[in-house]
Amino acid sequence: MKISCNVLKKHIKNSEKIDFYSIWDTFTIRTAEVEKVEKKGMNFDGVVTAKIIECEPHPKSNKLSVLKVDNGKKQLQIVCGAPNVKVGLIGALIQIGGHIDDIEISARPLLGIDSYGMMCSGKELGISDDHTGILELPANTKLGVNIKEILPIEDIIVEIDNKSLTNRPDLWGHYGIAREIAAITGNSLLPLELDDTKLDKKDLKIKINNPELCYRYIGTKLEKIENINTPMWMQIFLYYAGMRSINLIVDLTNYVMLELGQPMHAFDANIVNEIEIGLANKGDKFTTLDGNERTLTNKDLMIKNGGKYFAVAGVMGGLDSEITDNTNSIVLESASFEASTIRKTATSLGLRTEASSRYEKSLDPNLTMDGTKRFIKLLKDENPNLEFGSNITDVYPKIFKEKEIILDKKLLYKYMNFEIEDSIVENILNLLSFKVKILKDRFKVTVPTFRATKDVAIAADLIEEIARLYGYENYNEVPLNMDLTFNNNETTYEQEYEVKEYLVNKHNFNEVNTYLWNQTLFLKYIDVLVDNVKLIGKNEDNILRDDLSLSMLESAYINTKRFENIRIFEIGTIIENGENKRSLSILLSGDTGDLKNIYNEAKSIAYHLLKTLKNIKPIFELSESKNYYNNELTQNIIVNNNVLGQINVFNRNISNNINKKKCFVVININFDYYSQINKENIIYNEVSKYPITNLDYTILSKRGEYYQEFEKIIDNFTSPIIIKRELVDIYIENDIKKITIRYTVGSKEKTLTSEELKDFKEKFIKFIEDNDLSIILE
Amino acid sequence: MKEQLNDLVKRASEEAKKITNESEYLNIKSKYLGKKSELNTYMSNIKNMNSDDKKLYGPLFNKLKKEFDNLFTKYYEESLNKNEIITFDPTLPVKEVDGSLHPVTIVARDVTNILKKMGFMVLDGPEMESEYFNFEALNIPATHPARDMQDTYWLDNGLLLRTHTSPVQARAMQKYGAPIKMCVPGRCFRNEDLDASHENTFFQLEGMVIDENISISNILYVMKGMLREVFKQDIEVRLRPGFFPFVEPGFELDCSCTICGGKGCPTCKDTGWIELCPCGMIHPNVFEESGIDSKVYSGFAFGLGLTRLAMMKYKINDIRYLNSSDLRHLSQFNIR
Repeated sequence: MKISCNVLKKHIKNSEKIDFYSIWDTFTIRTAEVEKVEKKGMNFDGVVTAKIIECEPHPKSNKLSVLKVDNGKKQLQIVCGAPNVKVGLIGALIQIGGHIDDIEISARPLLGIDSYGMMCSGKELGISDDHTGILELPANTKLGVNIKEILPIEDIIVEIDNKSLTNRPDLWGHYGIAREIAAITGNSLLPLELDDTKLDKKDLKIKINNPELCYRYIGTKLEKIENINTPMWMQIFLYYAGMRSINLIVDLTNYVMLELGQPMHAFDANIVNEIEIGLANKGDKFTTLDGNERTLTNKDLMIKNGGKYFAVAGVMGGLDSEITDNTNSIVLESASFEASTIRKTATSLGLRTEASSRYEKSLDPNLTMDGTKRFIKLLKDENPNLEFGSNITDVYPKIFKEKEIILDKKLLYKYMNFEIEDSIVENILNLLSFKVKILKDRFKVTVPTFRATKDVAIAADLIEEIARLYGYENYNEVPLNMDLTFNNNETTYEQEYEVKEYLVNKHNFNEVNTYLWNQTLFLKYIDVLVDNVKLIGKNEDNILRDDLSLSMLESAYINTKRFENIRIFEIGTIIENGENKRSLSILLSGDTGDLKNIYNEAKSIAYHLLKTLKNIKPIFELSESKNYYNNELTQNIIVNNNVLGQINVFNRNISNNINKKKCFVVININFDYYSQINKENIIYNEVSKYPITNLDYTILSKRGEYYQEFEKIIDNFTSPIIIKRELVDIYIENDIKKITIRYTVGSKEKTLTSEELKDFKEKFIKFIEDNDLSIILE
Repeated sequence: MKEQLNDLVKRASEEAKKITNESEYLNIKSKYLGKKSELNTYMSNIKNMNSDDKKLYGPLFNKLKKEFDNLFTKYYEESLNKNEIITFDPTLPVKEVDGSLHPVTIVARDVTNILKKMGFMVLDGPEMESEYFNFEALNIPATHPARDMQDTYWLDNGLLLRTHTSPVQARAMQKYGAPIKMCVPGRCFRNEDLDASHENTFFQLEGMVIDENISISNILYVMKGMLREVFKQDIEVRLRPGFFPFVEPGFELDCSCTICGGKGCPTCKDTGWIELCPCGMIHPNVFEESGIDSKVYSGFAFGLGLTRLAMMKYKINDIRYLNSSDLRHLSQFNIR
């Protein structure tokens, strides 16, 4: 929102004492964020009012004219290219020695005729967008006067971030901002100049069908509007505020809205005379004054005239009742609507207007009367013969009153961290138009209605008012009190970080972050269907993921052209059976011919992750998984008899879409379960004083049989002297698999005798033979 | 014969000096003392010699054999005490190791570690969240614009993707009660179109302190201390009014610009300040909703944008890189 300091000055007593250029840093930390402060009217000097007294065409040009202008002191010859030149026109003359945009004006010939200055357009002076002709000032303008003395061209325009005003309906107009500035600087706010005509006319017919949505409606019929020319000062203000001047009536509705924050509407009184406020019928059509036909719902609040819509309440008027340059009597609307209705209608119609964005902030219903009277006062200034066609007709079913809040002093001191003096509190609140009664241990505060609609409702809200005007820069930094009780620490984050660091530092993985939903295009590309919870209102990228590894595959795809082999991982959320699950997925890629090594590395990573970080040795077991994985290579990772995760390899027909020469192996870990697994203690074993012996045996197995089958068998061979068993080598020769295992045997009590070793050996050979296996005996 | 033996001794002594390692030692041994060695050939020919020569050369050969063995052993043992002969190029470049943490992880770790030092516990919360925790429990009324379709990802199961980490405030209050000091690093979602500075998926860190006498001054201390540690430089902070339904008073916290130090530059739009973190005193309604007595307790909460912080810290100019999986960007964060 753009704020003109010239307008602010009109509302503050002793405003000349305020530095309106530098005050905005303070405003930012007291009230709301200022985005930009800009000085206007600084790009020129030496411009005076001057009247054209002669106007002849240029002999060598059919566009240029040769003028004689009167600057109040003498007549000057000016060559001018504007089409609107005419005798009698009073315009803005930049004289020799004056500057515009850093260029000094000097006498110079234009096609052979000397020109002693230049007549300026509104655009050149920065006060309008109009560059089609020179500026035209009213006929009663004095000549030879510095234009900056008669027009408010020099101004400071401040842009305030609208987002930082969402909770402050009172700040959506200059008067509210002036109140803040007055409070910040300790000055007082001047009362508004309002029309105070006593009326004895007929009331307008106004009916509110939904008082819960329309809190108040004031309608006034105004007649004999003869002058619809907007005064120059107002035109300049509207331009600086980012609006276009149309005609006096439209401009005044905008002016009052910008000044007070109260949206106003003027309708042509020939069309509107009987007003009804109520909800639309679903499916009805209405053409707004921007010329668009809109379809309504039964939640849209409408203004009707004799059963016919003429405005969308609080949003925009209709084309039929639009004010034109021929309008000389109007019905003026100043109304108050329920905030969320206006917001919803504006959203559903896709039509956010200056009015709707104010109404949706919860405006004070009491502002409507000020708006009406202010409008009439300003209209009368330009139309002394203005007449009322009706009373100011006020329909106000439920009067919105001031609010009273008790503020406990102890609470205030707690928030402030010190005991603020009563007089400071009283002064701050008074400056903001709150009334204060100081009691022994509390304040009784009356909140003005313009603050009570939403923003100030409880004691904490008052603390904010006091705290911010006291100045946040005036608070000390105070450390928290020490608390030495043990925290209930949730270890998830720490475990995640530990795993991430382990994978990065020990195994050189790259961490990635991917989206919570599967990318539709990618799923189509690899021809995988995922059915899961969906985002509403989106047609693609709308299915939440249930397998983090598909996200990893997509990440691999993104990188596959630039990186030879990919090693990535993520710890992230997946949605499984409608619930949040934390998942870890680790992906390794490599040449297809190297699958064995990559697979075994994945297994080793999974194993050592648990071995290193939990001191647990997982068990791997062949299993099954989703059909886009090669289920011959799917293995469960089992910890404490529960499935912690899986090793998976993407099917060839999936991975061929990514890269025909690469295979993609993933480790999927249920991280919720991982975090619950306790870290096992290290069990220390005393080292035996007696020698240990290694016994190697080579056993024959079938070529196609997995080691796991063999292992299951020899797991059953037990002996008290076995310290450990390990796989030494597997050698395949002519369809025969030779498995060499090593037993380390020994005793803590004594050196084993050769009989004991012999006995062990015999028992082992017998065990092997009993299990239909054969052993190679040397 | 004598000359041949002299020559042999000479050659053996020369070569013995060159022994530098075990394999050379074994080689020279087999060359001069092995089955096919010169000396051995002579020894096997001894049976063809006359008896004088036999008497002369027999012991001599044995003596030589012993001498050679001693000589070789002596030089081998000497070689063991010498430095290795350099046969490789010690100036080759180091091979890069490519593991990397995500930049947001690095920043999240830094911030949580700092907060842990101040006694904060680190909590976790769900990304798929209920309307109750995301809005209602946080005093965000049904009429608030944030609850409209356009800002929030609503799900077809009636839940939503959390729009901030703040729901964990209410979860923590209900689970642990007061007093509490906690923080929550986590991912949030907003229905936004992507561009260089907007993402629909981003990380925040929620912080919350509740105790009997928490004041505005405590926020200043905690935030200032935390940011100084994060940026490893002196940082000024300022509070200014900001509106969030779950705090009152609510603030926007700005920090002095880390690029220009507060003098004014394009990054801070010449203000010297960078908007960093919404925060405020916890709203009494939020306390009451989660069963904490707002007459006894006060507290503050903040929502630090971790994604933004990571971008500031590493001067990443496009937010989209962070969720891109593109290792050209991400593999640069290879700090150990």
